[in-house]
Amino acid sequence: MADPTAFYEPSEDDLLSSLAVPVQQQYNPEADADEYRRLQELEQHAYEQGQLMAAEQEQEQLAALEQVPEDVKRFLVLFHQAILENDLPTITNMYEQGWNKLTQAHYSQNEWPEAELISPLVQNDQVFLTLYRELYFRHVYAKLQPTIDDRFQSYENICELFNYLLNSERPVPLDLPIQWLWDMLDEFVYQFSSFASWRASPKNKSEEELEALAEAQNIWSCYSVLNVLYSLIQKSQINEQLKAEKEGKTAEEVAEIAGEYGSKPLYRNLGYFSLICLLRVHVLLGDPTLALQTMEHVDLSGNAFLTRITACHVTTYYHIGCAYMALGRWPDAIKTFISVLIFFIRMKQYHTRSYQYGSITKQCERMYALLAICTTLSPGPSDESIMSIVKEHYADQLAILQRGGDEALETFKDLYLSACPKYLNVNPPPYEDPSALETHLANPPIDATQRHLDLFLSDVTAVRGVSNIRNLLKLYTSIDAGKLAAFSSEEEQEEEILQHLMVLKAASRTYGKVQGEGSLLDGDRIVTNNLDFTIDGSMVHVEETTSHRRFAGFFIRNAEHAQRVFNTIRSSPLPIQRKTATGGAGQTAGAGAGGNEKPKAAAWQPKRARVVAQ
Amino acid sequence: MVSAVPTKNLADWHSPSTRPEPIHELIHGVDRYNPSNLPFMEEYLNTQVREGDYDIFANLAILKLYQFNPQHSNPDIIVHILIKALSATVHGPDFNLCLGLLKEPSAIIQDIESDDESLVAIIPFLQNLHELSRTCQFTKFWKELNGESEAANAIRTRYLPQHASPLDTLRAIFSTSAAASFSRISLNQLSRWLDFSSVDETKAWCDKVGWTVQGEQAEVPKNGDNDVKAGVVKENVQLSQLSKLVAAAAY
Repeated sequence: MADPTAFYEPSEDDLLSSLAVPVQQQYNPEADADEYRRLQELEQHAYEQGQLMAAEQEQEQLAALEQVPEDVKRFLVLFHQAILENDLPTITNMYEQGWNKLTQAHYSQNEWPEAELISPLVQNDQVFLTLYRELYFRHVYAKLQPTIDDRFQSYENICELFNYLLNSERPVPLDLPIQWLWDMLDEFVYQFSSFASWRASPKNKSEEELEALAEAQNIWSCYSVLNVLYSLIQKSQINEQLKAEKEGKTAEEVAEIAGEYGSKPLYRNLGYFSLICLLRVHVLLGDPTLALQTMEHVDLSGNAFLTRITACHVTTYYHIGCAYMALGRWPDAIKTFISVLIFFIRMKQYHTRSYQYGSITKQCERMYALLAICTTLSPGPSDESIMSIVKEHYADQLAILQRGGDEALETFKDLYLSACPKYLNVNPPPYEDPSALETHLANPPIDATQRHLDLFLSDVTAVRGVSNIRNLLKLYTSIDAGKLAAFSSEEEQEEEILQHLMVLKAASRTYGKVQGEGSLLDGDRIVTNNLDFTIDGSMVHVEETTSHRRFAGFFIRNAEHAQRVFNTIRSSPLPIQRKTATGGAGQTAGAGAGGNEKPKAAAWQPKRARVVAQ
Repeated sequence: MVSAVPTKNLADWHSPSTRPEPIHELIHGVDRYNPSNLPFMEEYLNTQVREGDYDIFANLAILKLYQFNPQHSNPDIIVHILIKALSATVHGPDFNLCLGLLKEPSAIIQDIESDDESLVAIIPFLQNLHELSRTCQFTKFWKELNGESEAANAIRTRYLPQHASPLDTLRAIFSTSAAASFSRISLNQLSRWLDFSSVDETKAWCDKVGWTVQGEQAEVPKNGDNDVKAGVVKENVQLSQLSKLVAAAAY
C-alpha cells in the first residue's frame, strides 16, 4: 500500500492536463501570487482558531465513533488490512458479501458513518478513506436520496481517487478485484448521467442549489468525465495492448507495449472498463459512430474479458445494440441483443449475489422491448427462444406495430421511450447567467431524449408503407404497377407505387457485420427479407426465397447428446450379479429388479445409469 | 463515368481513401476535442465541398466540437455538412447522425449571437428534403429544391455553387436507388425523378451511368439487386460443426 502521506493533492490543472480543454480564464501569475498571500494570512488566522476547536471536535468524534456498531468497526479494520496486503480473495469476499450484509443489518435506511469518523480505525489512511467514501456515496445513491452536497462531494472524491492513480510517480501498489473496478467506473458514469439529467432542468431547484450550480461549472461536466476516461485509457495503453494481443504477440511483447502502468492489472483493467464506459457516454451524448469506433480493438467474442462481469457484459451489448439502431443496422442490433440475452438466461441460475442484479434484469427487459421494435422494422428469422419471450411480453404491442398506421407510430414511441438510453445534453442550462437562465426557463430547449426519439420516429415513418406493400406483393408472382396502385387504399398514381417499391427495396437491404471480421463499424451489404422483386418497366416480378427447414443443428445436438449418454453408461460400473436363494444361477440383475427384490436393487444402482435405463 | 451501384461494404464510408493521414490521426485520438483544431477540420470540409469528396466521420467530428463549444458554431459549415450528408446517400443514416449532434437552429444562432436568422429556415428545409429523398419522392424533392421559398433560394445561390457538381451528385444517388429496383425503366419516369427537362438530357445521363437506351426505356445492367431470382436457402453444414461426431466415430 502506498504511504498515506504521499497521497496526491488533486488540482484542477492536473486533472485537465492530458486533454485539451478550452482555456476559460487566462493564467495570471501576479494575481495568483496576491491571492496566495491572502490565503496564507487567512489560513494562519484560521489555524489559531482551529486549534481550540479541534480539541473539542476530537472529543465529539470519539464519542460518535463509540456509536458505530462493533461489527462494523471490526469489518473496517479487517477491510483496511486486506487492502493494505492486496489480498484479493479477502477483498473480494468482504466487498461482495461483508459490505452488503452490514448494509442490510445497520444501514438500510441511513448512511454509513462519515469517513472522518472512522479514520482513527484505519490510521487515517487517506487512500483507504477515499475508497471508503466511494462505497459510501454509492450506497447513498442506491438506497437514499443524494443531496447536492452528496453529488458534489462524490465527484470530488472520485476525482481524488483517479488523480491518485493517474498522477503518482510510479504505478500505485494497489490491487482491487475486477468487480470493484467495474462497479467503480460504472457508478462514475451513472452518477454523471444522473447529475446531468438533474441539472438539465432548472425548475424546482432551491436558491442554494441554483447558486451552487452557478459556481460549480466543472463538476460532473462532460469534459471532465471524458477526461477521466480518456486519461485512464491512455495511461494503461489499453488500445495498444488489445491491438497487440489481437495480432498474436507474446505476453512479454504485450507487457512491453503496455509499459510500466499498463502491465499492472489495476491499470489495465481500469483502462479496459474505461473503453466500455466511453462507449456508453458516447451513446448517451448522441454519437453512435464514435461509440462504435471506441470499441475498435475490444474483443467481443463469447469468452472475451468483458463477459466475466455480467453487468459489464449486458451494458456493453445494450449500448452497442442501441448504436446499431441509430445507424439503421437492425439485423446487427438484433444479433447483439439476442446474443447477450441468451447468455443472461443461461447465467441467471448462477447469478444471485450481485447487488446490481435488479438493474441488470431491467436492462435486459429493455432489450426485449428494443427487439420488438427491431424485428418489426426488419423482419426475418431470429432466435426462436428469445423471440418467444418477446412475443410473450409484448404480444399486444407487436400486433399493433405490424398493423401499421398512426397507432403503430404511437406504440413505437412508447416502446422506444421505455427502452432507450437516457440521452443527455452536453451543455447545462446557463446557471451562471441569471438573465440567460430566465430565457432558458421561458423557452426550454428540446430535451435530448425527445430529440433522439424524433430522429428514431423519422426512421420509422420513412418505411411506414413498406409492410403493406410487402403483404400485397406476397400474393403475386408478377403484377403491373398500375394495377397495384389501384389496390392501395389511397388514390395513388403509378409513380407513387414505384416510389414505395424503391423504399421497400431499400428497407430489405442493409449493411451487416460479418462474423469475426473487421471492426464494429464494418459491414457488408446484405439482404434482410425473403421477399424480393425486380421492376421491368412497370411490371413487377416477385421472387420469394424459401429456406429449407434446418435439420442439421438438431441432429448434431442430439447425436452428441446420445454419444454423451452412451459414454456415461459405458463408464458406469457394471451391475453386480447377486445370487439369491430363490433365483437361478444365471439370473441377471435386470431380471432381479423385476422381481420382488426391487427395493434392494435400486439401492446400488448409480443415479445416472438409472435415468438412462428408464 | 458515374457509378450507380450501391457500395458493397462500409470500408469507404468510415475510412474513405481520400482522407489524409493527419485527419485520420486526429479523429481517432483525444485531439478531436481540441477546439484549436477547428480551422484545420473546417478547411478539410471545404476541400470536400470543392473536390466532391465525402468524409462523414470527419464532419461528425466538427459537429462534435460545436456540441462542446457552441460559441464556435459556424452556420455555413453546418449547412455544408448537411448538404454533404444529404447528397451522399438516399437511405443511409448520415443525415440523421449529423442532426443528432445539432441543437435546434434558433439555439445555435443564440449561442454565436448572430443576426443572420437564415439557418432557422434552412435546417428544417433540408430536413424536409431528406424526408422526401429517403422516401424516394424524387419528383417532389426537385420541386422543393427548385421552389421559390427563401430557404431554397439560399441553398441554390449561397451554398450549392460552392459544391462540385451538386446536382449530378444527387442524380447519381437517386439513380443508384432506382438501379436497385429496376431492370428496365421508362425514360419518361427517369427524367421526372432526375429533373431533366428533355429526353436527350436523360439519354446523355443514361450514357454516363452506363445504362443502355432502348426506345422509350433504359436498360439497367444487372447489379445483384435488380436481377433477383427465387432461391432456396439450403442448410450449410461446416465440418467444424461435426468435429465431435467425427471424433467419436474414430474410436
